[in-house]
Amino acid sequence: MPLKLTVDTDRWRKHVQTFAEATPGLVPVAKGNGYGFTLRKLAHQTEWLTGLDAGVDTLAVGTYNEVWEVATRFSGSIYVLTPWRPYSPEINPEIADRVIHTISRPEDLPLLLERQPNARVILELVTSMRRHGMTPSALWPTATIAREHAQFEGITMHFGLDGGSLAEVRAQMDAVVGAEAKTVWVSHLSANEMAQLRASYGDITFRARVGTGLWLGDRGALDVTATVEDVHPLERGYSYGYRGRTALRAGHLVVASGGTAHGIGLEAPLGDTHLRSRAVAVARGGLDAMGQARSPYTLDGKTLWFAEPPHMQESMLMLPSGARVPEVGEELEVRVRYTATSFDEIVLES
Amino acid sequence: MSLTVRPITAAEHLAFIEKQPSVSFLQTPSWARVKTEWRSESIGWFDSTLGGALVGAALVLHRPVPKLERYTLAYLPEGPSIDWSGDLEPWLAPLATYLKKNRAFGIRIGPRVTTATWSAAQVKDGIADDTVQRLNQLTPTHRDATGARVVSQLRAAGWKPQSPEDGFGAGQPQYNFVIPLAHDDGTPKTEDEVLKGMNQLWRRNIKKSAKMGVEVSVATPSKPAGGEFDADLSAFHDLYVHTAERDHFTPRRRDYFKTMFAAMSAEDPDRIKLFIARHEGDVVAATIMVRVGQYAWYSYGASSTEKRDVRGSNALQWAMIQDALAAGATSYDLRGITPTLSADDSHVGLIQFKVGTGGEAVEYAGEWDLPLNKAIYTAFDLYMKRR
Repeated sequence: MPLKLTVDTDRWRKHVQTFAEATPGLVPVAKGNGYGFTLRKLAHQTEWLTGLDAGVDTLAVGTYNEVWEVATRFSGSIYVLTPWRPYSPEINPEIADRVIHTISRPEDLPLLLERQPNARVILELVTSMRRHGMTPSALWPTATIAREHAQFEGITMHFGLDGGSLAEVRAQMDAVVGAEAKTVWVSHLSANEMAQLRASYGDITFRARVGTGLWLGDRGALDVTATVEDVHPLERGYSYGYRGRTALRAGHLVVASGGTAHGIGLEAPLGDTHLRSRAVAVARGGLDAMGQARSPYTLDGKTLWFAEPPHMQESMLMLPSGARVPEVGEELEVRVRYTATSFDEIVLES
Repeated sequence: MSLTVRPITAAEHLAFIEKQPSVSFLQTPSWARVKTEWRSESIGWFDSTLGGALVGAALVLHRPVPKLERYTLAYLPEGPSIDWSGDLEPWLAPLATYLKKNRAFGIRIGPRVTTATWSAAQVKDGIADDTVQRLNQLTPTHRDATGARVVSQLRAAGWKPQSPEDGFGAGQPQYNFVIPLAHDDGTPKTEDEVLKGMNQLWRRNIKKSAKMGVEVSVATPSKPAGGEFDADLSAFHDLYVHTAERDHFTPRRRDYFKTMFAAMSAEDPDRIKLFIARHEGDVVAATIMVRVGQYAWYSYGASSTEKRDVRGSNALQWAMIQDALAAGATSYDLRGITPTLSADDSHVGLIQFKVGTGGEAVEYAGEWDLPLNKAIYTAFDLYMKRR
């Protein structure tokens, strides 16, 4: 029985629609595992948004390999966030004019234009993040070439998760104005920052790329469950599991669906730098070493502990004696990171 | 392009200026003779790929710092006059090298480059709108890509912006109010066209001053308006001191203006003019106008507390605008405004007066510092902040 995502479709769509209507120039992002929903589902959903007249005409994907999957389900423009490189795969000519490329190095633009004359391009400006992007003095001559030989769709800049400081954004805007761009594509700016920019730069269109806030903004519409596949009583001193561990006390072993293949038990770094959360991470690592770790599974609202590290498609959980023993086939709630989880089944309820 | 910087004579400097459409009057060799308390020099940029031609120039005022007599801040007010449209590094690097060798601990420049302009109507609406506190909260009518590239490059090259967030700072204002005297295609405007751009109150006041018999005279040291120029300058200065008392600012001494007229008129007899408005023999207002090439500035103004109803100030502004138009100027600059548009700001009345002329608010790149000696520059910066 599968690891299952159940979506309250009406509630979820309502949130997505409300979000889109409140975010002028919204560019939905569908990349990676599609925030748990899969790319194809998000492409369908974006097509639905386009039909609502909320101003959604472009879908952003992470890589060139993701383009085709959304292109067959969404009819608008597809913006590839990963910068184009000479080794990037060819685009199917049927959809080439719907694809917007990101150019982050001056030398890449002439090479792309050789392959696809008059290609649609967004130029990336480097920010304090220093991931991809050009310095202003490299950007300006590239913008001139883009205006003359390509379809210049604007400038993109990436800020960290905390957004940019408005001072940095304004400094970046001098580089944008210097490039004579009419559209700026941004992510991670607060609504207040966006409003201030729009007031000062009414001659420039700001387009906000959003993934998490759009698709996962209403967690209440989402329910993740695993199925109990087996239950075994356990006496103190019994051995169990792949590694033949010994039970320290009596209880039950619960085998539930969901393992490393789904992303269960894999910790993605949170990127949290606060001292307290680091201490928590260290403590958790200590428990892991002793073979005791909290699992994301809950039974009757209580967190269960892993009996041993998760397997590829299942996890073994330890149930202390005295707790209610679940039936085979019963469902357990699971807390997951959506961007790192793939579900066996997605159920749309309405 | 391969540029070197070296000193030039005042005559070479002036010859360069005369070939430009205009440079700031603060960048003329004669301005050095007005600022007698500072050592100064003219410098030029020479391009070896153009046979060593003089392609840029600047007036440098060497501003000493208390207790550090050996070092100066090299100040290029509203300068230098260079090509700001491209890569700035080839221009600014030899400037820094030259000035550092001449014991400057830092450089302050004020690129005469526009970054944005707002129409008079926009400024007026901005003042009326409670949610708008500052000019840059409004989308400009025109935004300048060249100006943006200058600001971006200076920041990237380690220059530090000096323009204060609000109000007037110690340096030259970053925001000015300017009346364009030519159309976008360069054809000069007629007097009627300029008048039509003004609001009704301005037009009515100009008409009223003429009807009430206000007479405007124009004087320069070489062309006194009847009587001696010195007598006219004294009339201006008396009224200016009176204005300073009323409006609570510290007046400059009469000698300052005497030196200014002597130095600037010697450079060009039409460079600086004194305008005086009289009503039945009484001096009701007096102003000074400066012009370099196609650009004219309203520079100093004074007005009487009596007889305000004869509208001497409006009469003088109109006379100066007419004079600038006749001289072929393309811009008439009413000088600084604060970028604050809040209706309760103390400077808002000044903006409203200027907005009535129908021109536009112009944002310049502002003043920027490059520290050459970090330790001394930091000490200087602290000293200026504590003053």
